[in-house]
Amino acid sequence: MKADNPLLAVLALAAGLLFLSPVLYSIWMSFQTVDAYYTGTVDFTLENYQAAIGQYNFARYLLNSVIVSGAVTLIGLAVATMAAFAFARYDFPGGNVMFGATVATLMIPSHITLIPNYLTLAKAGLLDSYAGLILPAISNGFAAFFLRQYIRGIPRALDEAAYMDGANALQVLWRVIVPIAKPAILSMGLYIFISEWNNYIWPLVAIGREDMYTLQVGLARLYRVNPGEDVIDWPLVMAASTITILPVLLGFLLVERHLVRGIMMGAVK
Amino acid sequence: MTAATEARPVTRASHPLRKTRLLRRLTPYLLALPLLGFIAAFTYVPIASSLNLSFREWDFLSPTKPWVGLDNYRLLLDSREFWNAMKVTAIFAVISVPIRLALALLIATRLMSETWVSRLMRGALFLPSVTSTVAIAVVFSWVFSTDYGMMNAILGWFGLGKVYWMQDPQIALWVLIFVNSWKQLGYDIIIYLAGLQAIPTELYDAASVDGGRKFHVFRRVTVPLVMPTTYFLLVISVIEAFQVFTIVDVMTKGGPAGATDMIVNMLYRVGFTLFDIGQGSALAVILFILLIALAVFKSRVLGRKVHYES
Repeated sequence: MKADNPLLAVLALAAGLLFLSPVLYSIWMSFQTVDAYYTGTVDFTLENYQAAIGQYNFARYLLNSVIVSGAVTLIGLAVATMAAFAFARYDFPGGNVMFGATVATLMIPSHITLIPNYLTLAKAGLLDSYAGLILPAISNGFAAFFLRQYIRGIPRALDEAAYMDGANALQVLWRVIVPIAKPAILSMGLYIFISEWNNYIWPLVAIGREDMYTLQVGLARLYRVNPGEDVIDWPLVMAASTITILPVLLGFLLVERHLVRGIMMGAVK
Repeated sequence: MTAATEARPVTRASHPLRKTRLLRRLTPYLLALPLLGFIAAFTYVPIASSLNLSFREWDFLSPTKPWVGLDNYRLLLDSREFWNAMKVTAIFAVISVPIRLALALLIATRLMSETWVSRLMRGALFLPSVTSTVAIAVVFSWVFSTDYGMMNAILGWFGLGKVYWMQDPQIALWVLIFVNSWKQLGYDIIIYLAGLQAIPTELYDAASVDGGRKFHVFRRVTVPLVMPTTYFLLVISVIEAFQVFTIVDVMTKGGPAGATDMIVNMLYRVGFTLFDIGQGSALAVILFILLIALAVFKSRVLGRKVHYES
């Protein structure tokens, strides 16, 4: 396809718009009054957002999602980078077994852990808490596996020069490896953040208290409050849906390249 | 002795400060420990306890968990509910995956160039795969809702009657397949693009010099050469189809009349609404074995043939 052919370009753009039309229209709808929506007229308003954020507590859900996804990303990256460094640079007894156990988590479906993790957290009194949402999500070997491959590509001479200067392992990791591996770490961070932001089944299981809902659970509940189809306040639901989509959408527009690379890395899974 | 040799602590034996040496020997363990602790606590121990619970009868509340042997498995394998869920999941996989992959490959071959149009298109197609599945399910619940939905409005323009998209057992699963394909298509395209870029352009030139038509080149050059990518996506997509939950839970709850009751949806229902921990665990173990078998098949058959590192 050549972009110089304006006809093809217009056709392609039209196809792209058509493809995204449900989401684009849902965003449009979220700025319309209920009456305008049902009568097919146009009447802009922000009242759906005011209702979603205030009355329906989506400001709180947004905060919960930011806290949980942010913590999972930071803790996940920290433990994964340390483990990746150990696996890439050290030859130690048991190391291969540990690395194998880490990689094997990539093929283990998370649903096998659903019931036992629920029981564990119930026993620890961590249901309905941030810790209950965050801790199980750290148990993922993917970032460690990927970063290990990346770190192995960094010349050892760089580490050794730093050791000569009297640095210890943590200093080498922090001052030599992390700055060089930054693009890979950033991509992984995005990947973890988005996966966790969109996580649904675990918060659904682990959270019962309304004020601990994440956006995903809150949105599903809001839509399900009135299952009788005709009474759904669609503009309100779409405002809530837009709030749920928007942070990732904005992030996507900012760092599309990093993200696509992160996902392509995900393909080695 | 330089600190550099500490990178391989087992090879050098002498060091003046024994305490530091011990610490250095321990370094890799200390570095790997946090991650392995999490993995042990939240992945491996739970697998063992799922297996254990699948041989017991328990409802979350009673103080005892009597051992019942294979009863939970027997009950599952004898139930119509289980085979229905297997059937629905298999239909979902068998229908959605090939159509999606064919479409993705066709689109990917058209989006190879680095023009702004194809970059924009790639972005647009990829967007749904990073978007919240719950939000997508909610938006498409509106698209396919009977009275005010987009689909029935479009049918209305052509003078066609209303379709009960999500209430008709014959149609509901197709709606879910459509929504899931819409979401996943962009991911498949990105992976295909990576595979296509690996094909040497001379092969295309040679094929077109031979007078090959576009479709001929596509069939004889493109399709065979991206086969490893296709296998990879095929297995990944089947694994993913067996884990579909969110769109089912939000859009249909497995209904109408079990027509969209996929395996994980059944697992959630049995475990967390009926609180039958034994049967829920048995179902989880069966799903686990199925998916591990697929994953092993993937790494055995595909091995390192498919590898993307940018």
